[in-house]
Parts: sequence; C-alpha cells; structure tokens
Amino acid sequence: MLFNSIPFLLFFPTVCVLYFLIPATLVRTRNMLLLVASYYFYMNWEPAYALLLLTSTVLTYVAALGIGHFEEKRLKKTFLICSLLLNLAILFLFKYYNFLSSNIMMAMQSCGIGMQLPKFGLLLPVGISFYTFQALGYSIDVYRGVTKVERNFFTYALFVSFFPQLVAGPIERSNNLLPQFKQQHRFDYESFMAGARLMVWGYFMKLVLADRCALYVDAIFNNVDKQNGGSYLVASLLFPFQIYGDFAGYSLIAIGVARVLGFRLMENFHRPYFACSVGEFWSRWHISLSTWFKDYVYIPLGGNRVGRLRNYFNLLVTFVVSGIWHGANWTFLCWGTLHGILLCIEKALGISKKKYSGVKRFGHWLVTFFLVCFAWILFRANNISDAVTVMTGILTHLEPPKPEYANFIAIALALAILLTKECSEEFGWKIRIAESESWFLRHLYLIMMIAYIILFGVLGGDQFIYFQF
Amino acid sequence: MKKLLTSVLFVIIGLFAVDRLGGMIMWWINQHTHDVSGPKIKYLANDIHEDILLMGTSRCDLHYVPSIISDTLGLSVYNGGINASENIYSHYIILNHILAIHKPKVICLEVMDNDVMKQSDPFCATSFFAPYFGRNERADSVFLLAGSYWKYKISHLYRYNAKAVSNMAGLVINRHEGGENGYIPFPKPVRFPDSLQYRKTPHHVDSMKVEYMQRFINLCKENGIYLIFMVSPMYTTVDTNHYDVLKSIAKRNDIPFLDYHSKGLYHDHPEYFLDNDHLWDKGARKYSSVFAHDLKKLTQKK
Repeated sequence: MLFNSIPFLLFFPTVCVLYFLIPATLVRTRNMLLLVASYYFYMNWEPAYALLLLTSTVLTYVAALGIGHFEEKRLKKTFLICSLLLNLAILFLFKYYNFLSSNIMMAMQSCGIGMQLPKFGLLLPVGISFYTFQALGYSIDVYRGVTKVERNFFTYALFVSFFPQLVAGPIERSNNLLPQFKQQHRFDYESFMAGARLMVWGYFMKLVLADRCALYVDAIFNNVDKQNGGSYLVASLLFPFQIYGDFAGYSLIAIGVARVLGFRLMENFHRPYFACSVGEFWSRWHISLSTWFKDYVYIPLGGNRVGRLRNYFNLLVTFVVSGIWHGANWTFLCWGTLHGILLCIEKALGISKKKYSGVKRFGHWLVTFFLVCFAWILFRANNISDAVTVMTGILTHLEPPKPEYANFIAIALALAILLTKECSEEFGWKIRIAESESWFLRHLYLIMMIAYIILFGVLGGDQFIYFQF
Repeated sequence: MKKLLTSVLFVIIGLFAVDRLGGMIMWWINQHTHDVSGPKIKYLANDIHEDILLMGTSRCDLHYVPSIISDTLGLSVYNGGINASENIYSHYIILNHILAIHKPKVICLEVMDNDVMKQSDPFCATSFFAPYFGRNERADSVFLLAGSYWKYKISHLYRYNAKAVSNMAGLVINRHEGGENGYIPFPKPVRFPDSLQYRKTPHHVDSMKVEYMQRFINLCKENGIYLIFMVSPMYTTVDTNHYDVLKSIAKRNDIPFLDYHSKGLYHDHPEYFLDNDHLWDKGARKYSSVFAHDLKKLTQKK
C-alpha cells in the first residue's frame, strides 16, 4: 500500500480512529491493533513476503533473548553472529544472489570457462533492507547493552513492522522507538496537527516535486542513446531534486503519520543540499542510514581512532557497503565508492572540519552541490555504460535540451516553494506559515497546500524510489 | 477533541471553497489558453461547424492538411486530431461533445492498434477532457469506466490536474500560431528515420475498446454521418493481417477502410517522415493530396 494511494487515505484514518477509540491505558491492545494494521499494510504488496518479515522478526527476537539470557560473552557473541548471518543470508538471497551469480558467470566466461549457476526468479520484497537493518541494529544494541531485551514478542514485532516506517525508513533505533510502544499516547491536538502538516509537506515533495521531475528524468535516463548533452545536463540537475523529494517526502509522511498517532520518529533529512562539504551532506542526507553505518560499521572498524590510512580505509569500506546496500548494481557500488573517495579527499585536505562564511561558503556549497549531482548520475543510470554516455554527453554534445515547458514551469514553481521554506529554516528567516502562531494561517497553509497538490501533483500513484532498496 | 473537529471542519469547508473558486479560474484559463490541445478541444466542443471532420491522435493531427482536402472536395474540413489522445475512449468522448452542437457530414477516423488492442493504461488520455466533465452524460460514462468519475465529481480543481501547467503556460506562449483549421505544420526534423522497422502484430484484443468502437460507429450511424476509417503512412513494415481486427469491424459496419500503411506508401521516401510513426509537413502535404483524391471518390460513390 503506497502512501500516495487512495487505499492508504482510507486505511490511515480508519487505523487512527480505531487507535484513539481504544483507551490510552490499554497499551497492549493498541499495540496489537498497530501490529495487525502494519502486517495488513505490508501484505498489500505481496502477502507471502510477510513471512520473511516474520522470519526476520523471530530470528532477531530469539537471538536477543539468547544474548540477554547468557552471561558468558562467547555465547552472547554466538547468538549475535547467528542473528547477523541468518538475516544477512536472507537479504543476500533476495537482493544480491542473482547479481553475484551473473557476474561470476560473466567473469568465468571471459576467462574461457563456461559455467552455469542457478538463478532464482525472486521478486525483491519491499523494504527488506530497511527492516533487516532495523532488526539487526536491535540485536547489536542488545549485545552492546545499549538496549534491554524486549521480552514481549508482539511489542518487538511491532517495532520491526511499525507501518509508517516499515518499507522505507527512517531506520529507527531500538532505544528510541521501543520505549514509545510502552507509553500511553493520549490524543494530543497539537501533535495531531503537526503530524498532518508534515504529511501534507511530504505529499507536496513527493507528488508535486519528485514525480514531476521524474517525468523528465525517466524519459531521458531510460532512453540515453536518443538524447543530447543538454537533455542529459537538465536531467542530471533535476534528478537530485527528484530523489530528495521522493525520499524526504516519504520520510516526512512517515514521521507525520507516526506523529499523528503520538510517536516521534527520528529526522531523516536536514536540508541536505545546503551542505558545504560531502561530509556535511552525509550528516544531512538519509540520517537514519548514515548514522546506522557509522554506529554499526564505521566505528567497529576503528572509526577515527586509528592511523590516517586505516581511517581512509574505514571510510571507503563504509561507503562501499552503503552503496551496495542501495542495490545489486555496479552503479550503486560506484556511487558509494565515489562518495567514499570524496570523503577521504576532504579528510586529507581538512575541509570537513572547517566552517566557512561569505563567498568561501558559497564556493564550497557550489562545488559540493555539483559533486553530489555528478555522483547522482551514477546512482540514477540504469547501468555503468549509460552513466558514461550521460557524463561524456554533457561534456561533448551540449546542445539545447529536449523542451518540456509545462513540466519545467511546474518544477520551477515547486522548487521555488521548497527553496523558500528551506532557506527560511536554514537562515532563520521569519516567514514561517506552516508553523505560524496564527491558527488561521496554519490552517490556510493546509488548505492551500492540499489544493496545490490536487492541481499540480502527479497523482498516478507511482512507486517511491527507495522502496526498491 | 472539540479543537480537532473545528480544525477538520475548517479545512474541509476551506478546501471546498478553494476547490470551487480554483475550478472557475482554471475553467477560464482552459478556455483562453493557446497551448497544444486546449484550443482544439474547446473548438470541437463549442464551435465546430465544418462538413468533414478528421479525428484521431497525433497521427491525424500531423498528417492531414485541411486546405488540400477542402480544395479537392469543395467542402469545409477541420483536423480534429488531438496529440496523445491515445485511443477510442478519447475519440468517443470528443464525438459526444461534438454531436451536442453539430453533425458533420463525414467523419474520417485515423485508426491504430491502440483503438482495439490492450494497453497497460488505456484511460491515460481521458483526463485531457476532464475540464468538460458534467456537460455530456455519454462522454462522462468513459470517466466512470476509467475510475475517475467520482474524483472529478468531488473536486473541480482535479479536473485540470493533467493540463493545469500547460494551460497556464498557454496564456503567455501561443503554440497555435501558423495553424489552419486544426492543422499545425511540423517543421523539417533534424534527422529522418534511418531504418524501416518491422512492427509486430498485436494479438490481445480489448473487448471494452471494441465495445466503445462500436458505440462510436453507432453514434455516427444514428446521426447520419458517413464514417471512414483510415491508416496513414508509417515508416514501418507490418504483416498483411496487421489491421484485421479493425478491418473486420469496418466490414461488419460497412465502413470504408483506407490502409496506406500496409501498402507501404512512402517507404521509398524517408525524407517525408519526422520519425517512424509521423510525417512532417512535407509528407503531410503529399499524403493529404492522395487521401483527398481517394476520399473524393468515396464521397462521390456515396
């Protein structure tokens, strides 16, 4: 069930009404309702894949019980490793096996060795990387003693499957979300309205900005051999806003939905395109994933507290893994590696630690923005060869782009609205309407934004990009 | 809870007011725009008076020069082809709007595979006609089938969703300059199609489309309109049975079928085409002369 679909617009108010009809003191009953709703939400894609979600839940639940039960460090570690291996094996089978086997076969063939490995015709379960990482994070936290073992299976199952953030994050930490399932969430008007405003802004970012950009970007990137450099350039400059609108929009809807129900999820995006270095970009982009990698990959590798070369190695490994996390394709691997290299260069030059202002800040912002845009070409291209065609096309055949005036105007309007909002937040301008103190203005904002989405939104019910991860 | 109810009520009432007011503004814009398809749909729904009406998608829009056909037949001609109108559902909607104000003597429908074959989203182009929702019951039946009827009924703004920006841009940019009776000449392309592609014959007939094709035919019969089907040239090759489904419908209903595509007209002239499916102005003028000659023979027989 997509957030931008009619079934969700019926599902969510129904869940909401039922949830608040149950007295706040009956926490377990409310949790059961949310658990059933979450599985129903997930099973709308492919009912069979709910079994995988359940398997991952059971595995990490049992492993955590084991870790909590035994005192001996060796046994604790065994349970943790079992949990990691089994969960990652499922993820590998569904997401990476076919990619790896086809690459092995190709490599063998190029060496003159004919070889056939079995291929599985498995569809990638929606959100498998998100819930697997959330569940693994819990196992590791229990092992580290950061989180207490959750003994109630249903509460834990809800933590893994909580529908607002189940399929595309934010990837929540057990010490933030689990305790909230034990609290009494009384209906709170301010929280409800704040959630509704976040949802509306999320829908704007997804339907008006991202999906409008997608009309142009997809037409170019899916037919690279028929385009010129100008079209590649425009598509490459629009894709960063498409993916931002798409993913940040989803995250905001998720955070808003949870807020309406009384839960607080972590912030996932913090105006990433205002970053003045690639390092800063990663502290603002997909925060729940980048902090996950920092806590569970980068720091265990040694983090900053090692020699310079080893530190670069740690950074590179973290970003290569982050690239692969996004999908089984060489494009994601190259995208992650490129970001890793850029971060190493920044570290070597000491850029990431410095604070700039004025023209210098603008210069750093500009360079960062174009570097990030350049890397997004690798992320968006269907394969490496397409990415190279786009990059060389921009440099060698810069002709006027394929004109789509109506689309360009709609995108420009949406970008102007986004930029005004983000500038006001970034630079502290006092033109906040959504969070205005005036009741009338806050409600007028809701009305006008909904009307704007109805008129200019692409309401075809498209997928969210990050669902494929 | 009282606070929430006040908020919800305020948003619903406010949204209703904005929707209706916005709907009125967008209707005005839609009626005054000079974008690609808006003025043509407006003309067909409000002002059409010509004797011969050519209908279809971009292949009709780009291939028929009304003045050439008009000079040959001595009748007034309008090119009502609407770019990206996709299939028979769009043609059926627009025919109903036309018949509410005018009965042409002849309708020439440029048919294609999409008119009877299955598509992943057969109703994608029906939203072009949403601004005219509520004005013709038979035309609205397509929206019911498409699942958009209640959305258009509830929201007036939503009726302009597909074309809002294009309509607005059309207030400042005139994209109908140089047009005559619905035909806008397409300039010489940078590259002509370089290879004669083979197009496979589709086999999955959409029974609902066939039903609407029959309704289209029946409407013409009921109103005494002489209906002709034609397939203009394409720079592709097809099997001889490619249009059998459409031809059998035509035969069953005693409708002449002019097939210039299967015959391979202009396959020796790639310089007439802007791509594999469309002629540019030079090809359109050549083809219109051929078509006008054949149409004259058919109308004289009738």
